[in-house]
Amino acid sequence: MRWLLSLFLLGVAACVSALSVSGSRLLVVLEDEGEREKYGVFLGDLSDRGFHTTIQSPKSDKLSLFQHGERAYDHVIILPGKSKGLGPALTANQLLDFMKKEGNVLVTLSSDHATPTAVQSLLLELDISIPSDKGALVVDHFNYDSASAAEKHDVLLLPFPKALRPDVKNYFAGEGVIAVPRAVGQTLGNESPLIEPILRAPNTAYSYNPKDEADIVEDPFATGEQLTIVSAMQAHNSARLTVVGAAEILQNGWFAEKATLSGKAVKTANREFAKKVSQWTFKETGVLKVGKLLHYLDEGVSKKLNTSLSIPEHNPTIYRIKQDVAFQVEISEYSGDHLAPFIPASSDSVQLEFSMLSPFHRLNLTPISQTANSTIFGVSFKTPDQHGIFNFRINYRRPFLTNIDEKRQVTVRHFAHDEWPRSWQISGAWVWIGGIWVTIVGWVAFVAVWLYSAPTERSVKKTQ
Amino acid sequence: MAPKTRQPAQSTASASSTSAPARSNKSSGSLDAQDIVQSVWSNYLKKTPQRVKLLDSFMAFLVVVGALQFLYCLIVGNFPFNAFLSGFSATVGQFVLTASLRIQTNPENKADFESISHERAFADFVLGSLLLHFFCINFIN
Repeated sequence: MRWLLSLFLLGVAACVSALSVSGSRLLVVLEDEGEREKYGVFLGDLSDRGFHTTIQSPKSDKLSLFQHGERAYDHVIILPGKSKGLGPALTANQLLDFMKKEGNVLVTLSSDHATPTAVQSLLLELDISIPSDKGALVVDHFNYDSASAAEKHDVLLLPFPKALRPDVKNYFAGEGVIAVPRAVGQTLGNESPLIEPILRAPNTAYSYNPKDEADIVEDPFATGEQLTIVSAMQAHNSARLTVVGAAEILQNGWFAEKATLSGKAVKTANREFAKKVSQWTFKETGVLKVGKLLHYLDEGVSKKLNTSLSIPEHNPTIYRIKQDVAFQVEISEYSGDHLAPFIPASSDSVQLEFSMLSPFHRLNLTPISQTANSTIFGVSFKTPDQHGIFNFRINYRRPFLTNIDEKRQVTVRHFAHDEWPRSWQISGAWVWIGGIWVTIVGWVAFVAVWLYSAPTERSVKKTQ
Repeated sequence: MAPKTRQPAQSTASASSTSAPARSNKSSGSLDAQDIVQSVWSNYLKKTPQRVKLLDSFMAFLVVVGALQFLYCLIVGNFPFNAFLSGFSATVGQFVLTASLRIQTNPENKADFESISHERAFADFVLGSLLLHFFCINFIN
């Protein structure tokens, strides 16, 4: 028994050492071992954050995303290489299977190298489009770095992205400018709710191929904010894929470089941005965890949610229609290295559905208290006038946050025969109660008179 | 009123009106109608046995009580609907039971109910009524 416990503790310790909730095994796919130095600082930062990095060439025989049918790695970074294919171990299907098993993928593109067909078809599958011709890149004649790209205007200097919407938390905020050298712009399909832009190109940017001989760009791939430079996709199982349009963003050469933006000297903050993007992709940020759920019959006495994991949830399985029910749930957000209380964005709230096929209630949950590492949300409501099998359901899906879909099933029964109010308690019924008793009293009187009058009847009969 | 008692009354009334058709033509129609009603009423009072009269007055009482309850439902609404149903159906059911007692005990129907004595009919009536009251009180809760 003791060795089992120590094994368990060892496992816990191994989990704790990794900062990602989904594991620490990281595969870096890099074709040219000589290019490793270029990404040295980025990969070093990842190792410092607790990832066990394996660098493999796509041509390697040993390379496989799966072992014995399970993921061999938790995260994959695909860095651009010279060859057009990624080999038999990294086909689009295998990468998708990897994501189906909740593996995270960071794909980088580069305009210097052709995009591998596996990556092309993977992105097509996810409704992310990239220009089909090799060498197409994003230029901007206003936000370029005049120190390194005075002529070509293909090194963009962009501020850190703002929140996508007011009701979405921003995991990519920072100070300074991001240098985006020679990026491959992407456009995102309108249909998919799973893809979101992380870093958009500015209004004045457009995508163009410098190999085109024409002076004027006709029919560009995309312009302005249609172009995204870094885009994100989070699947229904919360597996994440990030496309970084320019692999050079992650290179040492741009991590803290002096640049000139419209005459002013600035310093690039790519290291910070690379950290934010990789943290998000590898599930170090934006990960939600549901703790315990509590629901109980609200009889004026409020109960407290016991967040201790040693005590199992003990909730009633049956309610009656039109009863007051209180609901509480504990939600934490994993940030960096610990679970913190989850606070939704200012104009957003977590909602509780009380549903049988379709929701009968959809209520905003309000934070009622906080523990050291979770927020307890609560709401009280009246069960609907409908009996059946209901679910307490929290279905919370927001960009950049892992999906929550928690259900607890309960039965809602109808009134028992002795739970209805008695007739005399309803003043509207008094007339009809009176009606019944008048009828009964009248009947008793009638019976009495009938019995009393019986002899005379007989005498009448006799006379007849 | 059951038609069986009205028939002899009507026949006597028509007999009396045939004796003086000219007078009714001369005088106003309303007076004639009044005459008819009056003669029907006096005939009823004269020819109906006392127990049948008792039954008739009880049935009239039930009609009034039922009508009042229905009127209340129309005006105020049927909120505890089970209360309305039991209150109203108590009077209706009692009316039906009383009507059957009246049919069975009326001396004019003696030929049809020779096998049923008045005592037996009354016992049935009492049992049925008690059952009805029991159900109504139960249903009103």
